[in-house]
Amino acid sequence: MNSQLHPTLTRRGFVKTGGALVVGFGLVGADIAQNIASAAVPKNTLDPTLPASWIEIHPDNTILIRTGKSDFGQGTTYTAYRQIVAEELSAKFEAITTVVAGDTDRTPDGSGAFDFLGRGTPNIRKAAAYTYQALLDLASQKLGVPKNKLTVKDGVVSGGARSISYGELVKGQQLRLTIPVMGDLLSPMGLTVAGNPPMKPVSQYTVIGKPFRNSVIASKVTAKEQWATDFRLPGMLHARMVHPKTLGSKLVSVGQLDKAKFPNAQVVVKNNLVGVVAPTEWEAIKASQQVAASTKWSDWKGLPGHENLFTYFREKADWTTTKVTKSDKSHGNVTPALASASKKFTATYEMPFLKHAPIGPTLAVADVRTDGTVHIYTHNQNPQALRGEMAQMLGIKPDNIIVRTFSGAGHYGRSNGGNCGAEDEAVILSKAVGKPVRVQWMRDEDFQWSTQSPAAYSDVKIGLDAKGRIEAYQIDHYMPAMQDDRPIGAVLAGLPTMAAPNEKAVFIGSTVNDNQDPWIYDGVQNLLENGHGTFQVGEHASPIAVGIRDHSMRTPGQFQQNFPRELAISEAASLAGVDTLQFRIDHATEERAIGVLKAVREASGWETRKSPRTNAAASSTTPLRGRGVSLMLRSGTYWACVCEVSVTPSTGAVKVERYTIAVDPGIVVNPLQLKRQVEGGAIMGTSAALLEETTFDESGITARDWRTYPIMKMADIPEIKVVLINNPKVGAYGGGSEAANALAAPAIAAAIFDATGKTPRRLPLKPEHVKKLFTA
Amino acid sequence: MAALSVNGVRREVQAPNDTPLLYVLRNELELSGPQFGCGLAQCGACSVLVDGKEIRSCITPISAVGGKEITTLEGLSARWAKQRGLSAADAAKTLHPVQEAWIEEQTPLCGFCQNGMMIKATELLESNPNATVAQIKDAFTNSGPSAHLCRCGSYTAIIEAVQRAGSAMAKGGK
Repeated sequence: MNSQLHPTLTRRGFVKTGGALVVGFGLVGADIAQNIASAAVPKNTLDPTLPASWIEIHPDNTILIRTGKSDFGQGTTYTAYRQIVAEELSAKFEAITTVVAGDTDRTPDGSGAFDFLGRGTPNIRKAAAYTYQALLDLASQKLGVPKNKLTVKDGVVSGGARSISYGELVKGQQLRLTIPVMGDLLSPMGLTVAGNPPMKPVSQYTVIGKPFRNSVIASKVTAKEQWATDFRLPGMLHARMVHPKTLGSKLVSVGQLDKAKFPNAQVVVKNNLVGVVAPTEWEAIKASQQVAASTKWSDWKGLPGHENLFTYFREKADWTTTKVTKSDKSHGNVTPALASASKKFTATYEMPFLKHAPIGPTLAVADVRTDGTVHIYTHNQNPQALRGEMAQMLGIKPDNIIVRTFSGAGHYGRSNGGNCGAEDEAVILSKAVGKPVRVQWMRDEDFQWSTQSPAAYSDVKIGLDAKGRIEAYQIDHYMPAMQDDRPIGAVLAGLPTMAAPNEKAVFIGSTVNDNQDPWIYDGVQNLLENGHGTFQVGEHASPIAVGIRDHSMRTPGQFQQNFPRELAISEAASLAGVDTLQFRIDHATEERAIGVLKAVREASGWETRKSPRTNAAASSTTPLRGRGVSLMLRSGTYWACVCEVSVTPSTGAVKVERYTIAVDPGIVVNPLQLKRQVEGGAIMGTSAALLEETTFDESGITARDWRTYPIMKMADIPEIKVVLINNPKVGAYGGGSEAANALAAPAIAAAIFDATGKTPRRLPLKPEHVKKLFTA
Repeated sequence: MAALSVNGVRREVQAPNDTPLLYVLRNELELSGPQFGCGLAQCGACSVLVDGKEIRSCITPISAVGGKEITTLEGLSARWAKQRGLSAADAAKTLHPVQEAWIEEQTPLCGFCQNGMMIKATELLESNPNATVAQIKDAFTNSGPSAHLCRCGSYTAIIEAVQRAGSAMAKGGK
């Protein structure tokens, strides 16, 4: 693909009229084909250099926007993106009536469902800013008024006592501006709009900051939304997969289909991939179960089992092939500072594999047509990357592949690299049977054959000086590769895929464990943060190169790094004999970090004192109360949370009673939607902290349903208080859809320490783990 | 071949009698409210009302619901209109107070579980429109075959929406 489509604002396609540059817009109902550039981009792709590929202004003054990002409940594309575009265009929010998101042939820029706000400058904002300038140029020409004498309000340009709406301005125009873009459309990061168009000053904002509603919610609650689960094609067959017995099994013999019972079903086998198709879903389910029962697989044992995981990591995993990384913020000389410290502290923290665990298992419809085109209908967080993977798998050009995305169950990063399980299998089966095929994974398959957020452990060393300040801090993070984007069906079928994660890959698919948790405590004199990476557990040992596959999940890598850091900071504060929240303030220098800590202190009614509390006890049959705090910087947003918990040492039971969180994202784009996102992250993070662990034995993942992988239930949620700090002077909007996930665990663990004097350093904080603290 | 009464309409279906109701609703009757979440009655995404009681359509064969009145998410508005005795014209532009509240509170995140959440809310509020937070938590966690699960963590927003809907229903709407 093109690494750089248009590095500068080129004049290709411009039409000059009276010396003024004017911009052209696609007409309502115009064929998409008209917008397809002849050379720079592949067929069935929208030309990102054309403004109309991003923003269409219609003669009736309605506006359509397009983004390659697909929405999975963040709501950003339907609220914040509309607000941002309306703001940059000085148009009304309500004027943006249509949002087209996440299709390969109908949206311009690709990339995944992450970093929606692009640290304040998402692609759609720049596209809007370029468009605004072109509109002013056009208006200047039409009204005969210099550009700098024009004013715009609610999509109406005024100057020289005359006014003209955007709709009137663009009517009948077929003129063009080229938007400069960089990057690779089919890569996980997609394209980036380049250049620096003038942006509206924050002081003039009127649309950003208001609590607009998410337009998709009404269609979802009235059953009018088109979900991926609803998609059907004429002649489509339903399929169920027969996945291997273990994560390293090869097919020995496929079971005989009982044609008397299932006369319309058909078995498809390709290498180790087995699927059963039938005209009705129920026949496909029953036939696949019948075939599965008599299909034979080789046995395989190549995993350490979850109970031996951390021993395996320490004693057997290869941490030497992959280069060790050092964070940018590391400075000073930790070793002598630790040696001379007044008080020292060392500890190890352990985090399990977590499942993304969408409420609906993955599914997709694929239609491999006789004309050589492949059409995929799915719920995917990165359709352009999926397109690239399917082109590689089939050995065809991306031009021939079209991916359409629909609403689906949130899966929190699992398909950000391009596939979430069923798409490639649907393509393989459709190609085999010559009909459209719908593959739906069952609940157990979604637990056992999908990727997970990698397990990790960290070693921390802290030295305090005579005044109780941190003089030296060293953390060594250990984690296997985080992102395996190989489509599993392609792997099982023996078809081409990208390489499994390895030490030579750059960024995505690398075994390198980068620093993901920006250091905030700049008052610390000597700092060393190391990242150690390794291969996926069992993948090299697996005869089919599967093993335990990993993928980024909300706050990827940072969840694994922030838990040890923040819990260790709380433990260091206790060693110093001071309040854990004030200790953080005393070591931070950034105003916004201190701001969120003070805000959460006030909102939670935090009592300043040392931890553990004076009446802390390690034995009790009744609940003891404690509180803890955590702090994080992610995607331009500062976060702090306080958890108040009750813990019963005799049983190990932990309940989070109250959860208070303060968030400073800079400019709050939409307080209503942000609050709901933060509440969701708070609950998901509390669920991960208390309950979640991907269990596995020597052969495969043993979590298979909601009983073996429990998540938080309504009765167990804490009382949640969200404090949003609108901080316009930051001048940018940070992200808010995922970071709350990471904050709960270190605050809850610190609260258990506060209540009992014992620190749980292994997640999850399940009764059996917590109880061991008090019996050891 | 079986006959089902769905959202007040009698429907003939072709599926064998052991077919779970969910697949018949989705594939034959093209009702997309109930979702496939687990097929094990462990999550609630597939819930529908049968004679006013919430059941899991993913494990309920159609043979078990013959002669009973099935209400899906699509039928909530009409159910409310009938309960309130609204005219056909008014019914057509009315949403169930539960749906209204879900929009008002901006409850769904991904929204995949919300079908079951709204069905559960309707079941609860029809018998107890003044449900307390404790009663709401209990209903969504302990009544029925399993707790209703939300992975995105919208429970707080659900509780707020149930309370809003309950007060609207107690007042007879809005």
